Amino acid sequence: MTANILDGIVLGLQFGLLAAGLTLIYGLGGVLNLGYGQIAVISAMTVALAMDAGVPVLPAVGLGLLAGGLFGLLLDLTILRPVYRLHGEARVLLSLLLTLGVSFIVDGYLNWRYPLKSLSLYIGGGAIDILGVPMRRGSLVASAITLVTIAGLFVFFRSTSLGRAIRSVIEDEAGARLIGIDPKKMLRLILVLSGVLAALVALTRSMIAPVDTTSGLSITVFALIVTVVGGLGNFVGALLAGIILGIVSVVAADLIGSYISLIILLGAAAVTILIRPAGLLGVKE
Amino acid sequence: MSDRLTRRAGTFLIGGTESHTSRSIPALLLPIIVVGAALALVPLWLGESRVFMGVAVLGLAFICYVIGFNVIFGGTGQLFLCVGALAGVGGFGATILADNAGWPILLSIIAATLAATLIGGLLSYVAVQRSLGVIFTGIVTLIFSLSFDALLLGLSYLTGGDTGRLIKSGTDTFLRERVPPYYLMLAIVLVFLLIHGLLRRSHIGWAFRALRDDEVAAELAGVDVARYRVYGALIGAAMLGLAGSTYAFTEGRISPTTFGFGHVDVVVLVMLAFGGIGTLLGPIIGAITFTIVDEILIDFGQLRQVAYGILIIVLFLWMPRGLIPTLGSLWLRLHGQKISDPAKSTDSVAGEQEAASGKAQSTE
Repeated sequence: MTANILDGIVLGLQFGLLAAGLTLIYGLGGVLNLGYGQIAVISAMTVALAMDAGVPVLPAVGLGLLAGGLFGLLLDLTILRPVYRLHGEARVLLSLLLTLGVSFIVDGYLNWRYPLKSLSLYIGGGAIDILGVPMRRGSLVASAITLVTIAGLFVFFRSTSLGRAIRSVIEDEAGARLIGIDPKKMLRLILVLSGVLAALVALTRSMIAPVDTTSGLSITVFALIVTVVGGLGNFVGALLAGIILGIVSVVAADLIGSYISLIILLGAAAVTILIRPAGLLGVKE
Repeated sequence: MSDRLTRRAGTFLIGGTESHTSRSIPALLLPIIVVGAALALVPLWLGESRVFMGVAVLGLAFICYVIGFNVIFGGTGQLFLCVGALAGVGGFGATILADNAGWPILLSIIAATLAATLIGGLLSYVAVQRSLGVIFTGIVTLIFSLSFDALLLGLSYLTGGDTGRLIKSGTDTFLRERVPPYYLMLAIVLVFLLIHGLLRRSHIGWAFRALRDDEVAAELAGVDVARYRVYGALIGAAMLGLAGSTYAFTEGRISPTTFGFGHVDVVVLVMLAFGGIGTLLGPIIGAITFTIVDEILIDFGQLRQVAYGILIIVLFLWMPRGLIPTLGSLWLRLHGQKISDPAKSTDSVAGEQEAASGKAQSTE
């Protein structure tokens, strides 16, 4: 049981970080990015290709993070521009449809061009005992990186003026504009940040299991489920939901088999939407 | 007092637009007969080839899916991202009942259609009860789609898992011949068109239009928005279930991808967006176009997906009303006619009629 819970936390931290990237764009700009998983895949493929070309691991990882950020910027500068002209539900709907189109383009191209390519950043060395459970080194490194990133995000949002500016836009866009914050700039910044987060999740995930060109859809789906359970636009909620769903998923997979565990995960998300549409930590409007 | 006001607003909203569509039954039947006659000729052209007839039957199945989705999304504005899953409930349900439980084919089709109808109605009822918006309805139905897919893979002793199942029932009947399945599916398409056409003329159609144009106004005008949403979902889901189960028997082999999200839902969305959301004949035009395009692009494999992605972006960015209605209004504009309010109505036929009646009034 302890092993399951630890595995669940490892998975849950990644779920949480994954959802954080998606939920921030929604909270800030009312944009639901269905091409989110594809950003992760693009960065994983960048790293894999760079390493094939003989680039050492660390610079290759840097390139991967850069690719994720740049793709986020590209989305902001191109297909999201018409989306920003709309408001409310129409904006979410158009962003959802357009990014679905983007995800098809990316998936189709990558599957055609690099059909069998996958990235796994294997970390050697023996298992390390945590609370009496032997854990793989890859899982631990991945979790450490994820935890540091989450802590960094907390510090960024609580203690830097830029982070506070972003939070102020999420809370009250008109008010933020009155005190001289440009919501559009903040949104662009968040799209780049969410691209980097997607890239980071892809890279840490590849330390545990390979990431290939078809992983995009499942990454998007998990991100979406965790985001919805945590409450759209709620950063802390996303992290909490990620850890809970990670544990649920691993325990259910161990007790009753993996396909039912997916259904349980999906069911949990559906029930959360129906009972608390605003998410776990959401305040009812 | 407010009650009277509501009722008067209701007559205004529902009765007021009635003058625009004095379409008689022949005017409704004409396009359906033309479509039916044109599609009935296809086997004369492709009938020799089993492969092409298979493609044509799949094309007809897609027309059915698009009509069903059009009733739900185009009619009542509920984004159901479980078109494939509802058709799959029909397809897998009916063939499992027929093969494993030994039910007669017709009975199993009816039972599976009923199951799909109930599921669709339930999804809509829950969405309406919890007043989920377009986005959350989309997410809940997407979750249903994914769960259904996981269930199909998990229950592999019934569904055959990834490879799918061969359908034994109906093997030596007309269902597996070359041309008859085509006419069976065509008959279903025409029945769906007729139902959709009649629906649009009935009070349900008026309620659909009212709640789609302005939900709050419709509610204030006395339209029971919740009830009509569920009606729309029930009718659309029944269409999806019937089409999915019939298609499964004619195809003889189904797998989770036959009804998968990427294979059905996204394609249906593109087809409907292309043909025109909410229109009567848009689904036909969209589905036929993309069945042909798909055949042409078949050698490009994964690049087809890229083409679909580009099309989704182009269609929703520049032609949110659909390519055909956009071209139609462009044609009218070039010929110096004005459309009264094209942005308000996604219904090109109604738009044209409004334009026509507006013109008639101004000349009086």
